[in-house]
Amino acid sequence: MSQDSPAQRPSPGLWTLIVVILLPAVVLPLWVPLYDKTDPTLFGFPFFFWFQFALILLSAVLTSLAYGLSQLTERRREGSAR
Amino acid sequence: MSAVAVSVFVFLFLVVTVMGFAASRWRRADLDSLDEWGLGGRGFGTFIAWFLIGGDLYTAYTFIAVPATLYAGSAVGFFAVPYTIVVYPLIFLFLPRLWSVSHRHGYVTPADFVEGRYGSRTLALAVALTGILATAPYIALQLVGIQSVLEVAGFGGSGTWFVKDLPLFIAFAVLAAYTYSSGLRAPALIAFVKDILIYVVIIVAVIYLPAKLGGWGHIFSTTSDSFTTFNTDNADAIAAGQASPKAMMPPPALHWAYASLALGSALALFMYPHSITGVLSTRNRGVIRRNAALLPAYSFLLGLLALLGFVAVAAGVTVAGDPPNPQLAVPQLFENEFPPWFAGVGYAAIAIGALVPAAIMSIAAANLFTRNIYRAYFRPDATPSEEAQVSKIVSLLVKVGALVFVLALSRSFAINLQLLGGVWILQTFPAIVVGLYTRWFHRWALLAGWAAGMLYGTWTAYGVSSPAQAHFGGPLASFPGTDTKVYIAAVAFGINVLVTVVLTVVFRVLHVDPGEDQTRWGDYAADVGDEGVAAEVDPHAPAHA
Repeated sequence: MSQDSPAQRPSPGLWTLIVVILLPAVVLPLWVPLYDKTDPTLFGFPFFFWFQFALILLSAVLTSLAYGLSQLTERRREGSAR
Repeated sequence: MSAVAVSVFVFLFLVVTVMGFAASRWRRADLDSLDEWGLGGRGFGTFIAWFLIGGDLYTAYTFIAVPATLYAGSAVGFFAVPYTIVVYPLIFLFLPRLWSVSHRHGYVTPADFVEGRYGSRTLALAVALTGILATAPYIALQLVGIQSVLEVAGFGGSGTWFVKDLPLFIAFAVLAAYTYSSGLRAPALIAFVKDILIYVVIIVAVIYLPAKLGGWGHIFSTTSDSFTTFNTDNADAIAAGQASPKAMMPPPALHWAYASLALGSALALFMYPHSITGVLSTRNRGVIRRNAALLPAYSFLLGLLALLGFVAVAAGVTVAGDPPNPQLAVPQLFENEFPPWFAGVGYAAIAIGALVPAAIMSIAAANLFTRNIYRAYFRPDATPSEEAQVSKIVSLLVKVGALVFVLALSRSFAINLQLLGGVWILQTFPAIVVGLYTRWFHRWALLAGWAAGMLYGTWTAYGVSSPAQAHFGGPLASFPGTDTKVYIAAVAFGINVLVTVVLTVVFRVLHVDPGEDQTRWGDYAADVGDEGVAAEVDPHAPAHA
């Protein structure tokens, strides 16, 4: 734990990309005027409700993508550490 | 309730009890240290962690209270869904850093980290006390969840208070006993049963009930009509402030309320000691990130469950109590619409759903007491086995306290305190999460900011009245200087950060001692296999926190 090796520093470019990918999953659910509507309905669900269910799926996809990218950086870290 | 439903309920409860005790032999280790008893050996993989963290965050109270708010026509009740969407990207980004630094330094609680980072036992004590204060009413509400089920199910019936609450006592004694003997392994194992039951019940409920009641379109339109009728019939009372108007969606005036409730609750959620306990019990950083991508499955479930509130309205469910208690809506819906045996499964799902988070919460609160009060102030050289013993006993005391709370004080008092708990716990965010990235904040500025946020939040919440109660009437208050309603915790958090930033500048100019930082930059990205990060922590190695 004496000195931080360069391999321990996260790669800033990839992490910026990960944050950008995760951003919609945080911003869209909080942007209420975007989905505060009844129409169009889907399977009888007003837009307000089904849109938020769709956001759950979207956020799961985005987080999975971010996970994949983060594994890439961790693997690169391990590779250079050896 | 019929004999069939009772038998099914009791049978499932017994299965879980056996599992709880058997858990002490699972992934066998000696349970004489906090790493083993309180964090399950820090070795849970993706699969177990998914059940454990899911079972931890989505509590029985959530399953009762969220549909109840929709049933009662609260326009902002559905905020629980955006809240659980927003929380996962945040967990993805923040918590792996906490995991790494905690592993490298043997931290068991968030307050351990704060003490190591800022070299301040006082700030750590503030974080620990906030955690315990916020968790205690949350445990009490899990019991309220069990009570709702037992009440609808007709257990206990009338008679003295002792006979009436006997089933709750039994459920509780069983929970306390296996948490004591098995630690975090018990809820981890029980979470499997709990979640499978909950998934089955919800999936059946959202397919079977709408089919029976004429489809989702019909349910939404019936609910909408019912709310409109209520508002028309009670127009005078609503105008006079004696009743609240009902709605399915937030009107424009409540958009900020909806968004701030979602964001504030999401930021608060992973500051709760029990969520951090769940996260620290994982095997490596990847497990946390992978779970951030997998846990939204629970959010989907929660959304469907919330809508059962509307299903109950459309099914014409009426609830007992004066004033009527909407928390009984979902159990009552099961009672009315399901065949008896399946209603029994539904009740068991909710009751067992209360046991998992109650166990984890009591473990988390006990760890905070042991590490940041007992060891920090009374026994600095406590051995690992002494720590584990103290935690076991405190976990019992915490649960007894919660039980007394629910039985001796009013149920609404527990709900008020849980509301305050959310406001309080968010005030530890700057010290913990900002601390994961920078040491810029001064420790005394953080303490002052925390105090300012706590005071503002408590005072403001006290001042909120509703048609039903004079104080603690709800989570919303006007943003200072405007008429816009927002979540109190979010404003308190803003004040907290403001005070912290201003005082940090002041203290730095005055060269007030910033304290010693035990952590290094590299600690925050450490993973299994790195120096100082063992795959499973050796409980008998000297702790160097």
